[in-house]
Amino acid sequence: MGSDVAELFPEIEKLRVQLLHNVEVTADFRRVEEEISHQEVLTRIENIILGIVTSLSKDEAPVLTLPNRSSWANVSFDSAIGLQMSSGSDVTAVRSDCASSVTKFAQILKILSVIYRLVQSNSYATKRDIYYNNTQLFGSQNTVDHIVDDISCMLKVPRRSLHVLATSKGLISGDLCYMEEDGTRIDCRSSSAAVAVSPNIGGIRNIVSSAKFVLIVEKDATFQRLLDDDFCSKLSPCIIITAKGVPDVNSRLMVRKLWDTLHIPIFALVDADPHGIEIMCIYKYGSVAMSFEAHSLTVPSVMWLGLLPSDLRRLRVPEDALIPLTKTDENKLNSLLQRPYLSSQPDWQKEMELMQQSKVKAEIQSLAAIAPDFLTSIYLPNKLRYGGWI
Amino acid sequence: MSREIQQVLRLVMLLGKQRGVRVQAAGGLLVLLWTKTGAAVQSLNCTVAGAGPWCKGIKMKTLEPDLKESMFPRMSPCPSVPDPEELCAFTDLYGSLRLLLSFQMRDSRLFIPEWCVRIEEFLRMFSLVNAGIKTQLKLQFSQQTFQQEFRVKIKSKVARAKQPSLMLDVTCRTQPPECVKKGCWCQGGHPLCGSRLPLSIPPEAMERGLFGELSIQPVTLLTPCVLQYPNLATQLTNIQVLVCSPSNVPVTGPSTFFQNLPNELDCQELGLHSLHCSLDHVNSGATVYTAKQENLQDSEQELSLPSVQQTLLLFLFLQHSDPFTCHLSDSMATEALIEHHLEGILSNNRQAVTTALQTELKNALKGLNRGKKNHEKLRSAAEVILSSSISIVSCSSNLDFRNACLSSMKVRDTHELSASLRESLRRVTSWKFIPRGKCYPTQVEEQEGDEPTGREI
Repeated sequence: MGSDVAELFPEIEKLRVQLLHNVEVTADFRRVEEEISHQEVLTRIENIILGIVTSLSKDEAPVLTLPNRSSWANVSFDSAIGLQMSSGSDVTAVRSDCASSVTKFAQILKILSVIYRLVQSNSYATKRDIYYNNTQLFGSQNTVDHIVDDISCMLKVPRRSLHVLATSKGLISGDLCYMEEDGTRIDCRSSSAAVAVSPNIGGIRNIVSSAKFVLIVEKDATFQRLLDDDFCSKLSPCIIITAKGVPDVNSRLMVRKLWDTLHIPIFALVDADPHGIEIMCIYKYGSVAMSFEAHSLTVPSVMWLGLLPSDLRRLRVPEDALIPLTKTDENKLNSLLQRPYLSSQPDWQKEMELMQQSKVKAEIQSLAAIAPDFLTSIYLPNKLRYGGWI
Repeated sequence: MSREIQQVLRLVMLLGKQRGVRVQAAGGLLVLLWTKTGAAVQSLNCTVAGAGPWCKGIKMKTLEPDLKESMFPRMSPCPSVPDPEELCAFTDLYGSLRLLLSFQMRDSRLFIPEWCVRIEEFLRMFSLVNAGIKTQLKLQFSQQTFQQEFRVKIKSKVARAKQPSLMLDVTCRTQPPECVKKGCWCQGGHPLCGSRLPLSIPPEAMERGLFGELSIQPVTLLTPCVLQYPNLATQLTNIQVLVCSPSNVPVTGPSTFFQNLPNELDCQELGLHSLHCSLDHVNSGATVYTAKQENLQDSEQELSLPSVQQTLLLFLFLQHSDPFTCHLSDSMATEALIEHHLEGILSNNRQAVTTALQTELKNALKGLNRGKKNHEKLRSAAEVILSSSISIVSCSSNLDFRNACLSSMKVRDTHELSASLRESLRRVTSWKFIPRGKCYPTQVEEQEGDEPTGREI
């Protein structure tokens, strides 16, 4: 099967060899993910508490300092890593003597105490568990989610080392088997049903796969369509994965894990619109909010397979399947073109400028206007066969 | 007797208004009451003396007929003169006398001690709303002297639309708590000028000759000012309502309308549990309501701080204009009519007045209620902060960390640590100080009025 793909899709094989070479050349340049010990996590939390006690001993109001995770000014771009948090970045002070911030201060302390117990007892809890333990204090799940990431950034500890798990929203299917930390064997080879991305990516062991490429699919609808059309069998061996939109951390970790383990081409299949392009950039280069964990989340080798703006013209997608860009789309497109990573992707820039000029966007589903099975029978196989990625 | 003093002051204030005397015009006012034992009858004498710019231009000879007309029949001119030494002391401070009027009550047995309290209270209120005038009261009975000087340390000018500005005494007379550092306590207050409310004149008042435009201007003053302590819990203990006539002279006497007003107000909207009219102050001139905060749970009371107590002063300045009232005697008569029919006027405008006062009180108490919310937020967050911190210290196996925490707070175990952290957190958060440019960190030096000029009367 593998040799069939190599013969049928020589370009993928060429890309794989090229990527492998780049990985060998740059291997020692990439920082190996540090494992933070349990004791180190506990010590870092204790330092926070000691700081609070020391402040109170001096009759000073305790203040927590959080790196600002929403400012572009705090990130820098490295082509080998993606968007990463700069040292000496802007911080936000969360004061205990100010009515507008004291609740957040209390929420952070509460979650720190939960994490401390989890790490000490080597047990795990989900973010949902934390929220439901004190809904009155937290108010919403979003609050807990943000604070867990804030704590991860403040302590400079990956979230998985905090023993806080997130429910994954991603799905995966294809030539892939692995074992979860609790010993559960996962086989993603079912043709009709996908497997939920594991909530504990760090605990995954014994990955077995002969996949020649991974296809990241932006939308669940497209992913289901691929499953229905038995894409993974037709273009076997391969892996398809979706996070159903903006990717959650677990889905990003899974893609990164597949890259680290298999070193095979990773392609993105997104809508030909600014939102889809931005989602693809998150997989490839990371996000501002999680830039402090860029090393473990980004996959700079991701290639844009489709739907390209130039495909719309080339394939003569019917005009009634095209959608005019809104003002929001145009603003988003302008913003993307200003991003620091675009300068290293001239082909991507050209596609985006084409979208700017044509002032139209299209969903992957627009290919169905050409033929119902155009996506899986013609478009994707041809793209993969003839190297139609950028 | 206080009625007569009120009439004299009304006359002088109306004269000042007519002459365009500025609200900042300073000077002194002396009210001297003394008795002289005659062969059979004790007589009570009263002298009202004024000096300084506030009574500039007063000519006693032209004033006397108006005074005679407005004085009550039972008063008669005072045959004796006040002690020159008393007057000298006054003129030394405030300059030549521009106003000097003495009158006598024949049978001083009618003079009861409670009147002293009423006069004192009246002059105190007069001083509150006419802070530019330094007011003194002296009582000399049976060779005993009682003296009261109504000191104004901090004044605030309150601008009014289409009306002369007011000069209010905003001095804070509450001692700061011991934990407050020097220079970190506002020595004054910040009056809030509300919206002017037009009043319709009831038919019975019109029949008696009261015409023109009548309105009421509310001004509120919450004291002491704790705006520099945004997290401090305060408790409103009472609201004092003080009504002033168009001449800026306090209107005294009980008011049924104001006594019943608490029943009409929405206490919950004001953040109060209840308001009751205090009958102890019925005759003082101001209507006083005792305020009760919403009931706290026992545990909350235990944890809540000893709060600063605040009083809300609600000044209601009556304003009147009538193009056909230009003579002084007409103005005096109009003021008498307004006072006489005040209950009827307020009742005639009950809904509008109640709604307006509800709004003004709500605005005035906004800061206080915000402080309460802040305090509650901080209190409930503090519980989480403390329990989370203690939880980590308690279950830590890191001896160095535990010892560092205990020694930092100078305690022996986590139980003491919890109490010590709680107290420290309470202290640093409750007494968080943010200086405000508009507050008064020190007492203003008392400023004397214009230099004394002219001659003795």
